[in-house]
Amino acid sequence: MDGFGGTILRINLETGDIERTATPPDLARGWMGARGFIAKTLYDEVPRDADPLGPDNLFIMAPGVITGSFAPCGSKIGFGCISPATNGHADSNMGGMLGAEVKYAGYDMVIFERVSAEPVYLVIDDENVEIRPAGDYWGMGSLDLEKRMKEDLGEDFQIATIGPAGENGVVFSCITHDFGRQAGRCGVGAVMGSKKVKAIAVRGTRSLPVRDLPALTKSTYDIIQRTKTHPLMEPWQKYGTALFVGWANEHGCFPTKNFQTTFHEHWESISGERLAEEVLVTHKACFGCWMNCGKYSVAKIPGKPDTYVEGPEYETIALCGGSCGMKDIHHVAYANWLCDNLGLDTMSAGNTIGFAMECYEKGIITKEDLDGHELKWGDIDDFENVVRMIAERRGIGEALSYGTKGAAERLGRGTLAFASQAKGMEFSGYDTRWYWAQLLSYCTADIGAHHNRSWAITADVQIGQDTWKGKAPVVIYLQHIRPLFDTWCCCRLFWGELDVTPEEHVDTIHHLTGWDVTMEECMLVSEKIWNLTRAHYLERNGGPGRKFDVAPARHLDEPIPDGPAEGHKVGRENFERMLDDYYYNRGWDHEGHPTREVLDILGLPDVADNLESVGLLGEPIEGGVPKVRGERLKPKAM
Amino acid sequence: MTIYLRSGGKLKAHLKPDVDQYTRRLVVDGNPTLREILDDLGIPHAYVAFAFAGGTFRRLDYRPSDGETITLQPPVSGG
Amino acid sequence: MKIKVKKENCTGCRLCQQICAITRFGEINPKKASIAIVPHFPEPGIFEPKLCTQCGVCFKECPEGAIHKEGDAYVIHEDECTNCGVCVEACPFDVMFTHAEVPTPIMCNLCQKCTEVCNTGALTLVE
Repeated sequence: MDGFGGTILRINLETGDIERTATPPDLARGWMGARGFIAKTLYDEVPRDADPLGPDNLFIMAPGVITGSFAPCGSKIGFGCISPATNGHADSNMGGMLGAEVKYAGYDMVIFERVSAEPVYLVIDDENVEIRPAGDYWGMGSLDLEKRMKEDLGEDFQIATIGPAGENGVVFSCITHDFGRQAGRCGVGAVMGSKKVKAIAVRGTRSLPVRDLPALTKSTYDIIQRTKTHPLMEPWQKYGTALFVGWANEHGCFPTKNFQTTFHEHWESISGERLAEEVLVTHKACFGCWMNCGKYSVAKIPGKPDTYVEGPEYETIALCGGSCGMKDIHHVAYANWLCDNLGLDTMSAGNTIGFAMECYEKGIITKEDLDGHELKWGDIDDFENVVRMIAERRGIGEALSYGTKGAAERLGRGTLAFASQAKGMEFSGYDTRWYWAQLLSYCTADIGAHHNRSWAITADVQIGQDTWKGKAPVVIYLQHIRPLFDTWCCCRLFWGELDVTPEEHVDTIHHLTGWDVTMEECMLVSEKIWNLTRAHYLERNGGPGRKFDVAPARHLDEPIPDGPAEGHKVGRENFERMLDDYYYNRGWDHEGHPTREVLDILGLPDVADNLESVGLLGEPIEGGVPKVRGERLKPKAM
Repeated sequence: MTIYLRSGGKLKAHLKPDVDQYTRRLVVDGNPTLREILDDLGIPHAYVAFAFAGGTFRRLDYRPSDGETITLQPPVSGG
Repeated sequence: MKIKVKKENCTGCRLCQQICAITRFGEINPKKASIAIVPHFPEPGIFEPKLCTQCGVCFKECPEGAIHKEGDAYVIHEDECTNCGVCVEACPFDVMFTHAEVPTPIMCNLCQKCTEVCNTGALTLVE
């Protein structure tokens, strides 16, 4: 099948059986890979009462249709499972080199079932697939292990590892690859660890089948030449995502001291410019991407060994930096390395540690809880102590290992009010009190609070801040188009920053696969996946859906105390009206339940039957189901 | 003096490029800051994440020189 | 004419490997490229492109005379090569590559495509 590896692997970790089946063409066309394959498989196969860290959960690795092809940015690979943080569908993807390698080895999905009795790692060497004892790999840091496995297996292999945090079931554990690319969110590393899988090593030497290689080559070659001289190529190459730190501060959305405020007085000392001046070693690219936005750095702190780390990205600067009160780019880079090697998502870790710092400030967590250490804002040694306690689930680290919501439930004393999370997953790097569309985005995302699903900051700027009107249709459009890139599994930055249109990506898919595919079809696939993961969430967690689409109290009720966004907050009534508008525009009911009408449009009548059988199928709101769900932001006329 | 402003995405449309598809040529009086230039063009500051000139980042209080090309980076799409 | 490698500019994107295999073999398969990118991570954190310098040692060492100078490049004639591997061993820079599906070693023939796609100046064409 052109464009695809051709085989699905199913690994039973209990019996050691390895099953190979041909990738079904209707799965490929209907679900397009990665997020789509993951959503469909999880929905069809995981029992609704499965414990996310138990044997009935699945752990899935899947590249997408564009991965490994010469289409632009074909670097990514998705990992999926039921998340231990949200108890719902999860998919998290990473760049680097692994995705392409999996396609060249001939695979479109690897499904891990059950739990191994002993720690193991998987080796895929083209058609040879082996489960091997992990031995002394178990317990090693993620980065340390990748270095060791490159020595043991050879540089030809691409390696993905979990760290001690994933072995110990911390709900925001990640998977690391290529010395600094992560499948960071949703706790995918914890599920991999729950199955006792320490690492995955892949070598693929086969060629990817392509329907029309000359057309694909010409299309991508032309895009390469055109984007080389795009105005935004140079700043992106120089600073990467860290270029956003200044704007976020100057426009009041930078998480500062656990989202207490939104302007960090020391932001310049942890900015992208400071990164480029002080810690940068190499610009680092993902497979098939010529923007090379990755920044490989070295942190030099007196009294600590020099540490090499990919990053810090904007999100790490926001959450391990601003939200923890850090003032030194070396400290942020070191915090990044700690999280990477321990196997923790820097975003949830930074957010959770900032939350813990506020608890310490308020006397809710004490030195006694911290093995005699403090937990002061901006202190890298205090950060190091608590992040290690979290990875080991030792002392107060046990409560914090559940993330901010789980920790707040265990600590009580009103701490939930300042936990910045949705559905149990931490906010990424944007305070939302002046960016209401972004709050809606966080609170309606299927996987919890992640901006990847819908980065709506620009919508707030262009439609107008301090209003809920007009935001919902734009958030819905973004929730379809952005995760489409997680389905195709390629990077969205060329679309987002360099004027490569989604239609150009669709053309390359046509050349790759021969499919007579359109952008409309792809958007409907993405909307289909969105409704499927919503249904799955409801079937697992019950209803009403609205009770899960809730916003944290700080963002609704507490005005920003100072800085450029002083005084702003969302307000409960505004949020509820925005949510009402969102449900209507989705074709769902007042409680956020998909309707049969919209599920039929999307080709999911069985899902409608399933929801009906548990009393969670919605009836359309007055006005009916909109003909098109979601609306692209129209720029304001100047 | 003459300066050149370049950008991409939606911000490029606000610049009304006239040199190529990304670039607007501007003749300005005196020695204004980028902030003042944006004000004259009617472009809200919030539409610009930062400026990039001479291979490095510039704040909006930067004063371009004659003949200089300034890239305007819009707010990024996250990551 | 030759290809200059400036390794400090390499970011490891592998576009060169992709276009090389596409041009030579009409396939998407970086492992069939005549350029290797060797990452040195975690330290010192740099990429090392490895590309034929057209030094001619393989030409001298080939026992079958299957390597010929054509313009500025040394080129293996497939109909004369026995795949004995002497050139691979003899190469002083480890830039003669092999792949199980390809009947001869793979070496750069100076088609220049890699220099057209490289976006960082790591690979440029010089006289």
